[in-house]
Amino acid sequence: MKTMFVQEAIRHGAAAAERQPGKFDPGETIIHHVANSPASDPLIHLPTIAGIDFSVTKHVLMLWVVAAIVFIVVSWTVRRYLKQERLVPKGFMNALEFVVEFVRDEITEPNVGRKWVNTWTPLILTFFIFILVANGIGLIPIFDLIGLTDYYVLRTGEHSFLKQVLHGGTTATANFNVTAALATITFGAIIVAGSMAHGFVKHWKNMVPHGLNPFIYVILIPIEILGMFVRPFALTMRLAANMTGGHIAILAILSFVFLFAEMFGRATAGIGVGLVVSVPLAVLISMLEILVVLIQAYVFTLLTAVFIGMAIHVHH
Amino acid sequence: MDNPLVQLDPGLFIWTIITFLGLLWALKKIAWGPLLQALETRQNAIRKSLDDAQQAKQDLERLNAESAQIIARARVDADAIITQSRADGERLREEIRQKARGEADVIVKNAERQIQLETSRALEQIRHEAVELSVMIASKIIQRNLTKEDNERLIDDALKQVEGRRH
Repeated sequence: MKTMFVQEAIRHGAAAAERQPGKFDPGETIIHHVANSPASDPLIHLPTIAGIDFSVTKHVLMLWVVAAIVFIVVSWTVRRYLKQERLVPKGFMNALEFVVEFVRDEITEPNVGRKWVNTWTPLILTFFIFILVANGIGLIPIFDLIGLTDYYVLRTGEHSFLKQVLHGGTTATANFNVTAALATITFGAIIVAGSMAHGFVKHWKNMVPHGLNPFIYVILIPIEILGMFVRPFALTMRLAANMTGGHIAILAILSFVFLFAEMFGRATAGIGVGLVVSVPLAVLISMLEILVVLIQAYVFTLLTAVFIGMAIHVHH
Repeated sequence: MDNPLVQLDPGLFIWTIITFLGLLWALKKIAWGPLLQALETRQNAIRKSLDDAQQAKQDLERLNAESAQIIARARVDADAIITQSRADGERLREEIRQKARGEADVIVKNAERQIQLETSRALEQIRHEAVELSVMIASKIIQRNLTKEDNERLIDDALKQVEGRRH
């Protein structure tokens, strides 16, 4: 683990040095490592439809990678499990079943109720696993290893696909465009849930309590409409900011290595600071990140369930 | 807005929605749907077998209680029957004894009466014989025939004497 960080740190330096010879710019490096790959230079060029550029950037690629991993692992495990004569889970299915039952019994059912639990569990389950894997994949330095291999072993050309893939952050859920899209699905799910439980018109009427002084509605309706949008907005920002924050902290701490090396004009100074300060701290924060990855996936999922439940069981 | 961290990217937004909904649809069809159903089926099966076990246990307990009750009742009944039959036997014995005693008494009385009857008949006969013998002897002695009146008087006298001797 530690060597990985050291190697990653070296690569950071190399990447920064390539772009800006002579001077290490921590801000630039960090942003480069967290933000999406530049839209001007996508991995796969796709046409612009109605002013929207559908080109595949790094984060789109990561979404696909995550979706593919989740789909293959989950469907393969479940299929194999269901093919058994007696439904006794074993191996990885135990873990998956634990997750499924946790999401169904601890997140979905207490919020949406027994009647709707089978309707909403698939969505909430997919949210949880998708966000969890998308968050978690950012902790694994896949692309740093690919970059290292490319730099020292493969030595592909300047514009090879491998080189392009290295640009941009690995964690798609650190991008608020992604989390906004996920929150939009929550937003839609809330409306669908309310409409399924009470009918489309009744769902909107349920937003405010009935039979109050008409004057109160003048205040209440705007507040409720605002609340309707604030909820997904909070979901968006919470997830994206949490996923970005940890990465930035780790990268900033690792940047000490290069800042000190530059400051003293010696590589040993950087390596010393790295061994004493940066790597231990980065390891600590990475451990914290493992928790954050889980907690944020849980929070997003739980809040989605809570909002759906609020649309189904209207309390005023 | 040249900070790439806060760059609006509608393409990415739409790709996310498409990717997620696609994943949701595929997983729901292939994994979640069948899995949730299987879990529920299994849960119901487990619940049912637990219920059945509970039910069987209750049945067993009830049957045990019932059989214990039946045995207790049978024991009480048996006791009652034994007591009853003992009393019946006692009474029957007493009855039979009484009856036997009565019959014996009757038989004894009959026998006594019979004996008395026979005795008196024998006495009567003896008396007649004695009278005839006496008359025959007396007529032989006196050698003449007494009149009938004399005869009867003599007989009566003799009888009175006999009677007087007997008493």
